[in-house]
Amino acid sequence: MNHNKIKECIEACRSYHGQKHNKSHKGYCNHDSLVKPLYMKYFISLSIFLISNILIAQEEYTIRGTISDKTNGETVFGIAVYLKGTTIGTTTNEYGFYSITAPKGEYTLVISSLGYKEIQEKISLVKDIRLSIEITEDLNTLDEVVITATEDSKKLNIRKPQIGVTTLSASTIKIAPAVMGEVDLIKTIQLLPGVTNNGEGSAGFNVRGGAVDQNLVLLDEAIIYNTSHFFGLFSVFNNDAIKNVKLYKGDIPAKFGGRTASVLDVRQKEGNNKRLELNGGIGLISSRLTVEAPLFKKKGSFLLAGRTTYAQLFSGLLDDLRNSNISFYDINLKTNYEINENNKIYLSSYFGRDVFNIVNLIDSNYGNISANLRWNHVFNDKLFSNLSLIYSKYDYQIILDFDQLDWISDITNYNLKYDFGYFASDKLKIDFGASGISYNLNPGEITPSTQTSPINPLTLDQKRAFEGGLYVSADHKITDKLTARYGLRHSTFDRLGGQSITDYANNQPVIYNQELGIYQEGEATGETAYSKEQTIEKFGNLEPRLGLSYVLTDNSSIKGSYTRTAQYMHLLSNTASVTPLDVWTTSGTYVKPQLSNQYAFGYYKKFNNNAYSLEAETYYKTTQNRIDYIDGASLIGNNNIETEILNGEARAYGLELMFRKNKGRYTGWISYTLAKSEQRSFGGNAGGPGINNGNWYNAPFDRTHDISITGVYKLTDKWTFSANAIYQTGRPVTYPVGQFEYEGSSVVIFNERNADRLPAYHRLDISATYKPNRKPNKQWKGEWVFSIYNLYNRQNAASISFNQNYNTGVNEALRTTIFGIIPSVSYNFKF
Amino acid sequence: MKYIINIFKIENKIKVLSLIGLSAIIFSCTEPIDLTVPTESPRLVIEASLDWEKGTLGNNQTIKLSLSTPYYDTAPNPVSGASVIVENTTNGDVFIFNDQQDGSYTTTNFVPIINNTYNLEVIYNNETYTAQETLISVSEINRIEQSREGGSDEEELDLTIYFDDPANEVNFYYITFLEGEDLLPTREIMSDEFTNGNEMSLLYEEDEADAEDEILPGDEVDINIFGVSEQYYNFLNRLIEQGDNAGDPFATVPTRLRGNYINPENPENYAFGYFRVTESVNEVYTFE
Repeated sequence: MNHNKIKECIEACRSYHGQKHNKSHKGYCNHDSLVKPLYMKYFISLSIFLISNILIAQEEYTIRGTISDKTNGETVFGIAVYLKGTTIGTTTNEYGFYSITAPKGEYTLVISSLGYKEIQEKISLVKDIRLSIEITEDLNTLDEVVITATEDSKKLNIRKPQIGVTTLSASTIKIAPAVMGEVDLIKTIQLLPGVTNNGEGSAGFNVRGGAVDQNLVLLDEAIIYNTSHFFGLFSVFNNDAIKNVKLYKGDIPAKFGGRTASVLDVRQKEGNNKRLELNGGIGLISSRLTVEAPLFKKKGSFLLAGRTTYAQLFSGLLDDLRNSNISFYDINLKTNYEINENNKIYLSSYFGRDVFNIVNLIDSNYGNISANLRWNHVFNDKLFSNLSLIYSKYDYQIILDFDQLDWISDITNYNLKYDFGYFASDKLKIDFGASGISYNLNPGEITPSTQTSPINPLTLDQKRAFEGGLYVSADHKITDKLTARYGLRHSTFDRLGGQSITDYANNQPVIYNQELGIYQEGEATGETAYSKEQTIEKFGNLEPRLGLSYVLTDNSSIKGSYTRTAQYMHLLSNTASVTPLDVWTTSGTYVKPQLSNQYAFGYYKKFNNNAYSLEAETYYKTTQNRIDYIDGASLIGNNNIETEILNGEARAYGLELMFRKNKGRYTGWISYTLAKSEQRSFGGNAGGPGINNGNWYNAPFDRTHDISITGVYKLTDKWTFSANAIYQTGRPVTYPVGQFEYEGSSVVIFNERNADRLPAYHRLDISATYKPNRKPNKQWKGEWVFSIYNLYNRQNAASISFNQNYNTGVNEALRTTIFGIIPSVSYNFKF
Repeated sequence: MKYIINIFKIENKIKVLSLIGLSAIIFSCTEPIDLTVPTESPRLVIEASLDWEKGTLGNNQTIKLSLSTPYYDTAPNPVSGASVIVENTTNGDVFIFNDQQDGSYTTTNFVPIINNTYNLEVIYNNETYTAQETLISVSEINRIEQSREGGSDEEELDLTIYFDDPANEVNFYYITFLEGEDLLPTREIMSDEFTNGNEMSLLYEEDEADAEDEILPGDEVDINIFGVSEQYYNFLNRLIEQGDNAGDPFATVPTRLRGNYINPENPENYAFGYFRVTESVNEVYTFE
């Protein structure tokens, strides 16, 4: 019965997906026809496998429901739900939903998670049962600060084939000391093994030797293109609005696609549906206020959160910045409404903006906007579904007063997604679904900003594309000890017409100048025009994902995984740090999709009833078609990016260790990563030896050693202390190997690309949290957070540049450091 | 198709990225440090700038040869004993440059002809280095205007030069400003791809780096405009960018600056520097 339904759904999704394609590739090359039979074959064999599984199961019943927090009604993600004395169990999904199927019988249902009181409920499974349960925080653990609250269920997580995934709750994110007291999700994940960034003041983060643009960052499923305010100093995520965060470092589930290095899945809170709740904070940089309340007689609820920096924050700081406005703000919104037991709708939205105005010079602002309308529908006891319609946009505008020009650029996408979770039996859970994303890129549009401006209006080619995805993934418990996950994703990418593509002599957008030994722009010979109905280029990729876990003992397991991912969107950036002005581009005639293979292996062990845990993982990853830039490439406002790039390859490998103490007055973790990340590019079609003579060279985000120690000590009910210590190998840079004199000036002779390193990066941060009253019946709860960032005032180099002193004519090395020692205080409240 | 790039190249002074980078710099501090850097074995450097200033004969020309030095060295490393010959490949004239034993090689009978192509051949240590360039013309300066409002600093004196760009041809310009006792000139490049056939204008204001040395009435600025090739324009673009990157967290990855010299026998042993042949205009402006 059920498998027919799945098939129907998949067929429905497929035909939607297929239509979209047919429309766009009239009379154009159809290499999809090669791919389709292949994946149909996979699909059929998977279906047969599923059917056989369903047939074996007999006289089984299902218990399902939703798990939520008693105090605020928030559904809880990742809670372990299992039948005592068996290995039958599951964890709640993103919407708090669970479903367990077991043979007829008497059981004790256990709901357990660190930080919550364990609930045991006797059930008589002689028919299908619906059971929604509210859980309460464990008062006994209130003396502890719980880290990684979810999915650390006592029995299950070592069984899950998922490797390289970390879940953080909003309260965990908060424990790490933050710069200027601004709690920052992106900074906290950098304390995990395998996650680094390009130092202070650089946007984004790097996972397992991957680039910033290889991370899929989702806020309630909407793609967030720029994760930072103030050029990386603060993240766009307001912690008060966040429920939890899941970071997939490599073994990316089949339901995600489009990026090769990681998925950062950030979920906003749904809003308190029990009572009005206020949360807020006053810090040195910004203030925050969050309002949550029930709606429609507690059938729904909402959350509205705002955060803003103080007006004209820095104008007083520097004389040059008089009358300037440098600030950011963001707004998070989420509402939900439960139509009935089987249907729930959600609307969530984010709007964030950075403003950077300097009188007479520049007027600029940039930010993300996203919205997501979701419909959760439970078809039956075993089939859960979610339909999402998502909008997301990133844009920036720059008005240069001096040049009298106004420049805007944006990227917009609409995404329709339908995801299903089928809890087939106690041995099998299947996820499947489809997704279609329509992209519109506006790489640059220039207009005169004054009437007397000499600038002519100009628009770079607008780019359009459609990305389709179709996936099936099964979690299969093969034996009590061996669990597997098989996933398959088929992704397609259509670069749509409506513009002209430049043709080059010998089809070479870049040519190698043999005499001078440099790469330069090829010779344009004309243009090929494509109408809106035409497809410029089509890509299709099969992305298998496989995970296996084997339980060694009750407290230890080993896991292995293979993940293939394809990425069709690329961020063009050849600067040391990603900037807000970097422009995204699509795969197409001259830019090929990035294809990545990752192999990972891990060992997990728990000690002392889960008071301590150890995780060790290794990985090896290769990426084809990684864009590389020729020397001196100019990317901004360039209509013909293909003349500045070569298609290269990248590889990364490493070992990650994490030791955690999960319980007690003292909690924390130590993480260590030993890694290598390199890239190389041959000349290919352009000829010549390639960038850096075709040799492997260090990726800008290569870090040999990366150690983080995070500790929290709860002294009394009133005082909690925490500290971070971080040590990282300096990032690869290019130093001089000499100089020559030219026209009276000294010209630097630089080394091979990224052949040198900045000095090592290290610092220590501490913080203390003081909660003046702990009377449980008092509504107003306040806390003071005192922190010192970079306690010993280490002058970490964000960059080192090489220049001839303007006054003395002597060559210098100039170090730019961003944060020295920064003490701060902030006040948070809850009502 | 690349208009926007040109706007940014024209306004090299207004480096959007560095400006934006300011917000990071608000929290930041840039200071000189002692840092050991690697050293590569020396290479030949040929500074061959044959500039024909309008209104002169252009017969006297100098080419400088040196070896590259370790990054922090202050002493130059001149090269003597090389053979330096320039040939006008359009008409076959040959000009021999005489070794002055101090790294400079001179001639007094060079004949500059607009649009003729010249070939430079340097033989040093039994290796031959060659380069070719065409002599490119330049327009006169129409006028120079001074003001206080023009630049980013409203209190600072600035000046704007105006000159005509010839229509129906692609032109590239290299402009230098050397004010008072400044050690190094301010370098600018311009292309007419966006303003072909129009009157070109360029504003000069003292760099921030030099804030103490404010321009006062009576100060002189030495202005030079050169008509240059596209290849040299690209070379200068990277040269200027390299010098402007101090403290800019969004600077592009620095790369080695190669000129137009080739060593056909031994390509690995290339020379630094550039061989240019230009017409130039010089004017000294005194602030009022």
